[in-house]
Amino acid sequence: MQRRTFVQGLGLAGLAGGLGLLPGMSFANPANAVSVDSLPKLKGDLTLYLGRGEGGLYENVLEAIKKKNPGLNLQIRRGATAELANMLVAEAKAGVKRADLFWAVDTGSIGMITNQGLAKPLPDDVVNQLKPGFQYPMWSPVTGRIRTLPYNTERVRADQIPDSVMALADTDLKLGWAPAYASFQSFVTAMRILEGEKATANWLKGVNSKAKKYAGELGVVMGVERGEVDLGFANHYYTLRLKAGKPDAKVDIAYTKNDAGCLVNASGIISLTEGDLPINFIRYLLTKEVQSYLATEANEIPLVAGVAPPVGLTPLSSISPPDLDLRKLADIRPTLDLMRNVGVL
Amino acid sequence: MTFSGSARCKIALVLALSFGSFSSQVSANGAIGDHVNNLHAHLGEYAEEVQWLEDKFGAVVDAYEKQGKGKVNTDVMIEYWEEVDFHSAIETQYVPVYATIWQGIYGVKTAIDKGADASAVRAEEAKLVHVLWQGLGAVKLASQYQKKGLIDQVQTTETEPTTPTEVIDDIKVRLDRVVAKYAEQLSEVATTLVFDTYLQRFEGIEGALIELDAPLVEDLEKDFNVSLPQAIEQDKGVDAVRDVVNAMQVKLDKAYALLAEAEKNRKSVF
Repeated sequence: MQRRTFVQGLGLAGLAGGLGLLPGMSFANPANAVSVDSLPKLKGDLTLYLGRGEGGLYENVLEAIKKKNPGLNLQIRRGATAELANMLVAEAKAGVKRADLFWAVDTGSIGMITNQGLAKPLPDDVVNQLKPGFQYPMWSPVTGRIRTLPYNTERVRADQIPDSVMALADTDLKLGWAPAYASFQSFVTAMRILEGEKATANWLKGVNSKAKKYAGELGVVMGVERGEVDLGFANHYYTLRLKAGKPDAKVDIAYTKNDAGCLVNASGIISLTEGDLPINFIRYLLTKEVQSYLATEANEIPLVAGVAPPVGLTPLSSISPPDLDLRKLADIRPTLDLMRNVGVL
Repeated sequence: MTFSGSARCKIALVLALSFGSFSSQVSANGAIGDHVNNLHAHLGEYAEEVQWLEDKFGAVVDAYEKQGKGKVNTDVMIEYWEEVDFHSAIETQYVPVYATIWQGIYGVKTAIDKGADASAVRAEEAKLVHVLWQGLGAVKLASQYQKKGLIDQVQTTETEPTTPTEVIDDIKVRLDRVVAKYAEQLSEVATTLVFDTYLQRFEGIEGALIELDAPLVEDLEKDFNVSLPQAIEQDKGVDAVRDVVNAMQVKLDKAYALLAEAEKNRKSVF
């Protein structure tokens, strides 16, 4: 497995060589993010299916785009991302087409739509704005998030934490997880793809025997901070946000290396209609203004070049996410079956 | 099942009967007729129905007094309640009273089914009748607000809240429905609604909220994942479940104020 060093994606200097490319991914050097002022005005009718985002911040972005483009008639259908993806597939099968764009909070749902052949290709200049490893011809990542290991700084030293997520099945550390949480299930899907069914089943069984279960991943991070558990599994932004509200929080972030434990997932957008309008709408989401807004307000990771990552993100020079075509995370059903079979769900 | 919260409920109703307290959420409990968007034209009908319910429930208690335990089919009380348009009128306008009506129906039904003294059954009946008329008062008030355009049309499809404060409002309505579903003795539905509300609503705003007040989020996390599900699971009674929800509503009001202020100060996108 090639290691995709997440260098430019995290605002670090240099770019690791020898990166393996996966089918469907291109790897041009990214152009810097453009300003919204350089984009054409949006005029006409667009219908967007919007998966629920973080605290209404995506809504703020959409409102700002509408305000800047009075000639745009943007209709929005909101819902859980997976539900909207299912709806798009069902509509397509019925010969009905209502949506021009689909903005999903996870790549699993993106994969579902691209696998059905519903996505329209993006022009090269849009694809090339994305950072290496995030350049896809049929969809555009918008912002990223990293799987992390939040740990209690009074109960655990950083050097006690293994750099392999698989090793955590055998650790003596007390663990916290949220197996019903969608991001966690995407992480297990990645593990299943990277390590195989048997190894993943054994890992789930091993962790299940020692893990405290939480409903959501902010709950995991808070449980870590309270010392209920030593270490947990969660997306990076929960720890950053907890520390923003509680600067003396006894929690820090560790990363595994080159495995599902440090998977970088992304929200993404698909054009479902040919033409300039949906493509230009996507360009707005990739502007430095929108990328910067989502980085500063939601702690999401910008995926275009030239935009600073969230403040407070732990130095990431050693981060090395696995090479994985994120669309493969759409294959969630075998993951849920596996989790049920081993008694985790 | 006790009814000790009724006095507090009454006070809460008086305090809360501002137009902002009326719900525009679609009912999850059966079909809703167009009448709910034209309450004023149907007030006479609702009043007749409340009188009819009082008579029918009274007849059930009369029969129990005459025939005794095991001789009366109390399921008809639920059928009577499901039959009237007043049901959806109060359900769509003021869920807390709607929940208390269910609590009252089961108060009478359970007392009869357990073979309680006739006087105890009559006491439960009196509470039920009281809350039915209280509900009619709430619907009348809602009709006035509706005529003035101060409350939204009842939506026939669920709409998604789009701002953090709208999410808080939606969570509060959903928690009222949790009490209603528990009062209907649909504990699993109530528990599922708690977890859905957490995952589909609270989880979306708690990241922003924890930056503003971490202990408040910790409290609400515990309420959503421990206190409220346990109160339902352990069948602590409608008053106990309502107490947990009322405490959560106070915390959610605080969250609303914090998030509203944060939104005012948030930087603009462009």
